[in-house]
Amino acid sequence: MKNIIIGQYIPGKGLFYRLDPRTKIVSVLFIMIAVFLLQTIEQLLIALGVAIIMLLIGRISIIKVLKGLKPILVLLIFTFIFQIMLNREGVMIVNQEMQLTIFTALFLLLALIIWRILSRYIRYRFLLFLAFVASIFLILVYVDFGYPLVNSFSFKIYEQGLRMSAFVVVRLLIIITLSTVLTLTTKPTDLTQGLEKLMHPLKKIGFDSESFALIISISLRYIPTIFDEANKIMLAQASRGADFSEGKLKDKLKQVISLLVPMFIIAFMRSEELANAMESRNFVPGEKRTRIYELVFSYRDVLATTISVLILAGAIVLKVI
Amino acid sequence: MSYIEVKELSYSYNNKTNVLEDISINIEKGEWIAILGHNGSGKSTLAKALVGLLEPATGEIFIDGTLLNEDSAFEVRKKIGIVFQNPDNQFVGVTVRDDIAFGMENLCVPREEMLEKIKFFAKKVNMLDSLDKEPANLSGGQKQRVAIAGILAMQSDIIIFDEATSMLDPFSREELVKYIKTLHKDGLTIIMITHEINEALLADRILVMNKGKVYAFEETEVIMKKKEVFTDNHLELPVALDLANSLEENESHKEIRDKLWEYALIK
Amino acid sequence: MGIRFNQVSYDYSSFAQGLYTAIKDINLEITEKNEFIALVGHTGSGKSTLAKHMNALIFPTSGSLEIFGNIITSKRSKKIKYNSIRKKVGLVFQFPEYQLFEETVEKDIMFGPMNFKITRDEAKILAKEALNLVGLDDTYLTRNPYNLSGGEKKRVSIAGILAMDPDILVLDEPTSGLDPAGKRVLMNLFKDINEKTGKTIVIITHDMDLVYQYFNRVLVMNDSKLIYDGLPEQLFKEKDLYINHLDYPNTIKVLTYLNQKLNLNLNVYQKTNADALLEIKRAAKL
Repeated sequence: MKNIIIGQYIPGKGLFYRLDPRTKIVSVLFIMIAVFLLQTIEQLLIALGVAIIMLLIGRISIIKVLKGLKPILVLLIFTFIFQIMLNREGVMIVNQEMQLTIFTALFLLLALIIWRILSRYIRYRFLLFLAFVASIFLILVYVDFGYPLVNSFSFKIYEQGLRMSAFVVVRLLIIITLSTVLTLTTKPTDLTQGLEKLMHPLKKIGFDSESFALIISISLRYIPTIFDEANKIMLAQASRGADFSEGKLKDKLKQVISLLVPMFIIAFMRSEELANAMESRNFVPGEKRTRIYELVFSYRDVLATTISVLILAGAIVLKVI
Repeated sequence: MSYIEVKELSYSYNNKTNVLEDISINIEKGEWIAILGHNGSGKSTLAKALVGLLEPATGEIFIDGTLLNEDSAFEVRKKIGIVFQNPDNQFVGVTVRDDIAFGMENLCVPREEMLEKIKFFAKKVNMLDSLDKEPANLSGGQKQRVAIAGILAMQSDIIIFDEATSMLDPFSREELVKYIKTLHKDGLTIIMITHEINEALLADRILVMNKGKVYAFEETEVIMKKKEVFTDNHLELPVALDLANSLEENESHKEIRDKLWEYALIK
Repeated sequence: MGIRFNQVSYDYSSFAQGLYTAIKDINLEITEKNEFIALVGHTGSGKSTLAKHMNALIFPTSGSLEIFGNIITSKRSKKIKYNSIRKKVGLVFQFPEYQLFEETVEKDIMFGPMNFKITRDEAKILAKEALNLVGLDDTYLTRNPYNLSGGEKKRVSIAGILAMDPDILVLDEPTSGLDPAGKRVLMNLFKDINEKTGKTIVIITHDMDLVYQYFNRVLVMNDSKLIYDGLPEQLFKEKDLYINHLDYPNTIKVLTYLNQKLNLNLNVYQKTNADALLEIKRAAKL
């Protein structure tokens, strides 16, 4: 469970690492709002270009960002395909006859087998998957001999459908890139402290941002521990015959309880011990504390904030006209 | 007045049977005390009471002349720190650096001073190269060492180890004990709760607890000669001393007996 | 044949350490009857990973193992009932807190057997038998497992596995955290179960005194490899255990010290204090 890339800080150097977390949070927020204000695919593509230039300036490996996209890749592809299939407005740009014959079926099966076998040995499984999808299309279009299984059908793409799907996907892409840049270049501790400082004014309405930040940072610290523990509990119960993949619903319920109860009880014991450890080191909730991390605002931060404000302003202007 | 004075201390959970009963002990500055006793004898409760995590039903605790109570707890805890059994449940920081800083942050130590002290005390427990490491990538022994550095950074000069070695493997355990030895040499007062008789032998004095009471509190050499202390408390003598005690008191065995004692009490 | 490891390796990848080889090229045979085996090794040597293979909780990255006739490889096979392997080879984890979850000891022990389609009444009988086997009487059946002492919890968690009546029982550091007396009581119990029921028992431990006194077969893991499989005494004679971050039994250490300091010629390989005492007396007479 340690290899979740999304939301993962990777140590490095470069412009974004040197920015104050407050600047990064605020700037990313501004630019995200700006992206949501954009209305045409052209504007969005320019924004994507800007995002990529940002990555290059910050010397952030694009491959790492792409890896961050992995968990939502399926979502992106589905959004894309659904938008294309369902939106039938505007000029029709593709109208391709397709047929499913006995031979097409055979070829499809062959393609499937080749894909399954290759995917065991090839590292870039996603590229292989794309190749597989492309080959399905090619087979459906060009293999037109043999006994037809269903009537030939046509695959249509409309201009508006293409635009809309590209629009949605590019927007998602930008948003995710932005947030990945934020989490990739900001230590969780800095992130929480940035949030804490940004929310400090809320103290007036009774929101204790310091305790909030401490809670977040302790949660962050214990996430790997808890995952590790959950895994061990699962193995311990599996050793007692709890089969989490099969079994009737009633059995399943019991098995889930057999996982949750130990997890809660251990968490409860831990929180008590942790509270003792913190108290013995003179932690008093709500009291003034100094901090080892100090946020320093430099000219870079002024520059970055200004740029993000300008981008937001630009997007607002575009929206208004 | 002794550095630590416990006077007629009693404690009970929910007013039921006493977990601690009428404990009176004095500990001098720079002493190394081991506390032995089987599970449920009240060792850990006593440790918690000493750092003010529990409020005694009756009796008093003085640390360096200050009466420990709710008002003085903050000041007293600057002097006395505790390393608990489970390395994972006391590591507050996201990184080693954060964790060493935690206590100092609570004491409002200025940032510059904190950074210097973190380096100094991380070096002391040989964790200087790991300041940016996260707890998930540290061994149990390393986490315990970080806990020690955090206490030292608060300028405490009494450290309680509440079965701090019991979840470690023998190798890391031995390593941690080495660090504790250097702390003792530096003049710190050490109170070590343990199951391991070999660890207890390192102490100047041993306190044996039984059912919440002080069963015996004497110099290590003295207590090791009293076989009944061990049999009464389900404790096992270390092998060397068991052999020494079993050898007849005659001249031909004297040399061997002396060497066995020497072996057991190597510090 | 109970369990046979055939060139088994296991890699796992973690964000922090990258690809990590937990065990490498393990060849090992454990028969299903009457064995009493210690598994030792420093932290991170791979002994827990080895144990998890024994009941197919994890699958080898390469190589294969045979567990009661089932061939386990890196691929999950539809033909194999993995659950039934866990009934044959019981694995008890180090911390009882990982498995206790029911409100009574009886119900908790019944959880294992009930996962194998037997009736409630049968499970009740099995639970009672298992509880008695670990040295607790029937009054414990109705107690809440969370209100027990550390040692009692440990016993209940062992009973929870024993109730499934496995042929082989694997225990991960069952004596850790107990005082010396508690350790001995528990070890005697395991020895007793081994002798009474003929079940093969594999115990992971760090305690070399126990290894020497109780076992006649010891497996040593070091840096992912199985570096020794044989008699404990032979191990102490042949290998430099300090290199492997392991220790020697106290009797050997004490007697070696006497030999060095007093120029004696004691045979240091004495299992118990009583044996060591006889040896010292013998030497002193000369």
